[in-house]
Amino acid sequence: MLKFILKKLIQMIPMLLFISFLVFGALQLTGIDPVSYIATPDMAANQENLDLLRERLGLNQPFLIRYFNWVGDILRGNFGYSITNGTPIGVLIAQRLPATIELALISMVVSAVLGISIGIVSAIYQNSPIDYLGRFFAVLGQAIPQFFFGICLIQIFSIKLGWLPSSGRYSTYATPLRHFILPCLTLTLSLTSVLMRYSRNNMLGVLNSDYIKTARMKGISETKVYVKHAFRNAMRPVLVILCFRLPMLISGSVVIESVYNWPGIGSVITDAVIAGDYPVVMVTTLMVAASILIASFLVDVLTALLDPRVRLGEE
Amino acid sequence: MELNKSHASNMFQKNVRKFLRNKLAMIGMVVMLIILLMCVFAPVFTSYRADQPDFSARTQPPNLPHILGTDKLGRDVFSRILYGGRYSILIGVTGAFFGSLIGVILGAIAGYFGKLIDSAIVRLSEIFQTVPNMILILILGAVFGRSIGNLLFIFAITGWMTTFRIVRNEFIALKGETYVQVCEAFGMSKIDIMFKQILPNVMSPVIVATTVNVAHFILSEAGLSFIGVGVPSATPTWGNILNAAKSLDVISNYWWLWVVPGVVITVFVLAVNFFGDGLRDVLDPKQQ
Repeated sequence: MLKFILKKLIQMIPMLLFISFLVFGALQLTGIDPVSYIATPDMAANQENLDLLRERLGLNQPFLIRYFNWVGDILRGNFGYSITNGTPIGVLIAQRLPATIELALISMVVSAVLGISIGIVSAIYQNSPIDYLGRFFAVLGQAIPQFFFGICLIQIFSIKLGWLPSSGRYSTYATPLRHFILPCLTLTLSLTSVLMRYSRNNMLGVLNSDYIKTARMKGISETKVYVKHAFRNAMRPVLVILCFRLPMLISGSVVIESVYNWPGIGSVITDAVIAGDYPVVMVTTLMVAASILIASFLVDVLTALLDPRVRLGEE
Repeated sequence: MELNKSHASNMFQKNVRKFLRNKLAMIGMVVMLIILLMCVFAPVFTSYRADQPDFSARTQPPNLPHILGTDKLGRDVFSRILYGGRYSILIGVTGAFFGSLIGVILGAIAGYFGKLIDSAIVRLSEIFQTVPNMILILILGAVFGRSIGNLLFIFAITGWMTTFRIVRNEFIALKGETYVQVCEAFGMSKIDIMFKQILPNVMSPVIVATTVNVAHFILSEAGLSFIGVGVPSATPTWGNILNAAKSLDVISNYWWLWVVPGVVITVFVLAVNFFGDGLRDVLDPKQQ
């Protein structure tokens, strides 16, 4: 098991390097000249000054050397600067990332607990009213566009009823918890339905399989059949789905941050995309990719714990 | 051979009958077809063009000439939704199809051959999976310009990993089965074993995943266009129509501008999902 974890950890390094290379390459493809954002207008007229500035910043070095300089800078914690307002990107991330992590993490936990438990209950009581109700909400939750659901919530709870604030994270007129409820509810909805659908389908598949019938034939109690025999195998594909939906959670939070003016990293990305602020886009992408890598590493370890075939097959 | 054929056609008839008996799936299919046909034959159902402004009839609530009202430029919402549906549905279906195609092929290769090929493709899928679609859209948009074609390309190359992982895991589990070993012992070609013998046993989760993806891509397009980084705003997609509802002013005063497209997207995606669930019930041998 330790060997498996170590192997997975070591595999992450070349992937991060590869992603950062892609990100840096794409930054070069956009053909932006950083000097034009640094130079003052009276300086910009003088070509010699510009060349000197380029020399000093190491911009006329070959692509690969600039790439390694860039990676070195990032490892030392120097993320570069926004080209629209000159803010250090590190500061931007430190200010905004916690809001997104808070939103995504709590939503993930809430939807995992909700989705998996509703899914399993639906599968055990297949074709009962509980099952129909659960499936109805799962299907509806997957069909409603997140932002549309968000707008509906704003219309009902903020405009009509006036119970919850419609935007922002902190304010003088509402507690942070009340600011948090609507965005979290919106982000939770679709992941919950995805997880519910998959855990129900998998649980059904497992419950129909021969080894469960054997277990029942042996006279093992129903609870034990569900908890000990079915649960582990039904959860393996669900964890895979959870892992694959993490970027969806990030994409979802990008949209939701736009609906609720939530001051997270998603709105930084959106603003940077619209303003063409490429350095910010690239570094935030790298951050997002790194956090998703770490999360999927955790899911891999969980999967291996649940299914010996996975870790034995890979060794 | 003769016997085999009649058996197969019996199975098919049985499956069709089973599908026809599934009420939700039938409702889903009918609703899906109605919306699809209305979008395809949009000119039959509306006399307005999607991009025709009428400044004398701005933000009218639903009334007789404009059955779903008009937007801030006086464009007919009903016709915008019909013409917009063409783009949104096309983007969803095409993106999901190509995504699944890539996923099935790579998943079969990785799962069947294992070893180096497997780990290389798995690494590739993990890389694609860690970079959110948004960034690829931005990069491609910056290099080639923002367009529907680029969006489709991005959906296809970012939408194959779910199918890939399902197919690969199933292949790893199935390739040790006796029937596969028998096929190998008979000297059947690897391609035949992969795509004719193993693949049919994997298709039902793939079909469920593809349906989920059609719905997912329609929603993705809507989300991306809603925040202003998807399809260029001149093209009336469902997401671009909803983009108009970003202000509190519109939300509280002009409900038909956001409720109508929102409900249309929801109903269509709902119909696609019901249809997909019905297909799963028919195709999944474990449930028969």
